Amino acid sequence: MLWLTWRQHRTQILVTGGLLLALGLLLLVSGLRATAYISEHAPSGCPGPAAACSGVNSAIYHDYYHPVFTVFGLLPLVGSALVGAFWGAPLLAAEFERGTNALAWTQSVSPGRWLMAKLGLLGGMVVVAALALSAMIGAWLPVFRGAVGDKTLEPGTFTITGVVPAAWWLFAFVLGAAAGTLFRRTLAAMAVTVALIALTIPAVFFSRDSYAEPVRTVTTGWTALYDRGGSLVRDAWVTPSGQEVITPPDGVCPPPPGVDARSERAQLLKDGCLIEEGYRKAVYHHPPERFWRFQWTETGILLTGALALGGLAVTRTLRRRS
Amino acid sequence: MTPALEATGLGMRYRRTWALRDCSVAVPSGRVAALVGPNGAGKTTLLHLAVGMLAPATGEVRVFGRPVRESMERIAFLAQSKPLYAGFRVEEMLRFGRELNPRWDGAAARRRLADLGIPLDRRVGRLSGGQRTQVALTVALAKRPDLLVLDEPLADLDPLARDDVMRGLMEAVAETGLTVLLSSHVVSELEGVCDWLVVVNGGRIQVSGDIDELVAGHRLLTGPAETADALAARMPVVSRGGAGRQATMLVRDATPPLDPRWTARPVNLEETVLAYLRAPDLAALPRPSLASAR
Repeated sequence: MLWLTWRQHRTQILVTGGLLLALGLLLLVSGLRATAYISEHAPSGCPGPAAACSGVNSAIYHDYYHPVFTVFGLLPLVGSALVGAFWGAPLLAAEFERGTNALAWTQSVSPGRWLMAKLGLLGGMVVVAALALSAMIGAWLPVFRGAVGDKTLEPGTFTITGVVPAAWWLFAFVLGAAAGTLFRRTLAAMAVTVALIALTIPAVFFSRDSYAEPVRTVTTGWTALYDRGGSLVRDAWVTPSGQEVITPPDGVCPPPPGVDARSERAQLLKDGCLIEEGYRKAVYHHPPERFWRFQWTETGILLTGALALGGLAVTRTLRRRS
Repeated sequence: MTPALEATGLGMRYRRTWALRDCSVAVPSGRVAALVGPNGAGKTTLLHLAVGMLAPATGEVRVFGRPVRESMERIAFLAQSKPLYAGFRVEEMLRFGRELNPRWDGAAARRRLADLGIPLDRRVGRLSGGQRTQVALTVALAKRPDLLVLDEPLADLDPLARDDVMRGLMEAVAETGLTVLLSSHVVSELEGVCDWLVVVNGGRIQVSGDIDELVAGHRLLTGPAETADALAARMPVVSRGGAGRQATMLVRDATPPLDPRWTARPVNLEETVLAYLRAPDLAALPRPSLASAR
């Protein structure tokens, strides 16, 4: 089965390996160039949170971090969709479509073992590939921590680091395989897989905030809290009497004359005034320490989905109706 | 002796319609059996049940006395479309067989392909129809099966390729003594090749038995039309025909007619099969003893 799996799926394996290598090179070059730039141009103590660093921080962000991150920011969707469409969907759909299931499943190796071997071997490779990518990104990100800050729980970063990428890719692979048993045409299975992944991604993204009860912090220094790299769920004002309100009453701290009430400056003035009046902000957020807890929660959700879809693929394959 | 293939009470339903219903049939070991029937009669369904591609709705199939799915090492199947991996080279198809079958005989497969002049490094997708069938048959035979099931192996082949494929099959039968079950809707090309006949019609088994005995057990009678009814009442008539004063009857009775105005002549396989296919309500099945023999 090892040889057969390799022979039938070597195109996907080689292309994926090639793409990983290219992405790795991109990350390596970007990391090295940014490091060189920092050592040449950054004043001592920079990049970092100090005010003197803002120029170099912004240069590093715009010239080195952002262009590369734009590529990787697409990976949660594009990577999963590609794995689902090219690794998962053809696995069974192509056999049905060409009638080769009549060949593959009448050999001495039982269809159950055939399917388990393929799902196991290819699923394992998908997981390894995703972990390799996540490790490469994990090695690249710290270069920019000084300039960009900690982005641990930010949706884009969270999805491409840790173990979550592996869970996504495995889910996409199994989803593709299951779609293949339902539609039995490679192209149809591919299209359905991509569509379902495009629906699953926002659904999972928006449910992330509810993986845990958010921490409530009452503070006046909320910008520092936002910058720590956690995930903000919502915020509200706390009146001097300790009551929580979404918006403070209009009478308190009206914008000074001559300032446009819609402007950012008016907002800043109002915030400062409210603090002087004894108002505080209640911030509901997930601190960055929850990174691994969230990683494993999302992994658990996706693996449960993958298991259910895998069960569907296996039962539909073994029940056998031609 | 345990039959190579034995189906009891076999039924298969696609949604509401029964493709096969209450089929009991046995193919003795060592036979080359033809499965004949009109299009849509249930031939492919029966074959797919026989190789475990389908699970029956009712009844069961046993191969050499054991359930099909436990016998896959002993069964080889060649589906109607002769499925092979189009992107594989011929030698990779052989490797496929070797990887998936413990009883694989690679040397025999290579010898067979060399005899046929099929290059091992040719891509399967670039083979001719006849070569494709030969490669698929080679993969099936190299598995060293005890039962080889073929679904319309000769369809879409030219006469030369048909002859080559049939000859290759017969050589393998002579060498190994394997049991063959092959479906076809062209009865004429089975004569002289097959020695057992199974006719399936409208989802039911209509005829099952040794071809020589079956053919020898039937006669075509010709005589005056006015006495036909009287004669027909005394023997099992499969089909009646004729025009004007002359009547013909294909009867399941080997004894010569007593009435001297009637003449009898032997029939061939095709005539017998056609007569039964035209009379789907008639059956020529072995006594229950054979069907239940274990």
